[in-house]
Amino acid sequence: MRFFALIVVLITGTLLLYATVDMPDWGDPYSPANTHVSPRYIEKTIEETATPNIVTSVLADYRGYDTLGETTVIFTAGVVCILLLRRFK
Amino acid sequence: MGTIEFIISKYNYWIYVLLMMIGFYAMIAKRNLVKKIVGMNIFQTAIILFFVSTGSKKGASIPIIQNGHGDVVSHAVNAAQYVNPLPHVLMLTAIVVMVSTFGVALALIIMIYRKYGTLEEDEIFEMSEILRLRK
Repeated sequence: MRFFALIVVLITGTLLLYATVDMPDWGDPYSPANTHVSPRYIEKTIEETATPNIVTSVLADYRGYDTLGETTVIFTAGVVCILLLRRFK
Repeated sequence: MGTIEFIISKYNYWIYVLLMMIGFYAMIAKRNLVKKIVGMNIFQTAIILFFVSTGSKKGASIPIIQNGHGDVVSHAVNAAQYVNPLPHVLMLTAIVVMVSTFGVALALIIMIYRKYGTLEEDEIFEMSEILRLRK
């Protein structure tokens, strides 16, 4: 069983290592993740939200509903923990 | 491109793949349930590190606009000056989900321990057989 697990892990790791050859270089300013949509947030955040911290402005302003859903996730997890750990009687 | 440059530009991904392999192996091969959960956490941490590293830019600063508030607010912002904020934001959400999963999993493990008195998978299986036969 352990041997089988090791084989599966090594196959997955090798495939991922092979895939990293095509990934953009570390710290490349012209990689696809850094060129398409993120410059727009960096340039417009002061104008649109008046918040210097871009992470905050995206989290709490552009993606406010997402953060609301996140708090729902935390609330659900807390309620589930209470329901599971409560001793009845 | 030379070998050294290739290693320098890609070694961060290799570290994350290694971390992912450690977590994956712990999830599959370990018998103790707490060790399995810790393996899942290592796996998620590797993915979070991977996403955050895709947002880095060489020579860029943290994504907080300089002179962003106060009397002198500069509106001209060069995007190459700040690292990509979107991976940070999305991984913040992922960290929240990770912590919630971890908490609920630990609560479930406490319930299992209360019922079976052990956390090893094979012993839980034997105990469940014994409990089933006793009924």
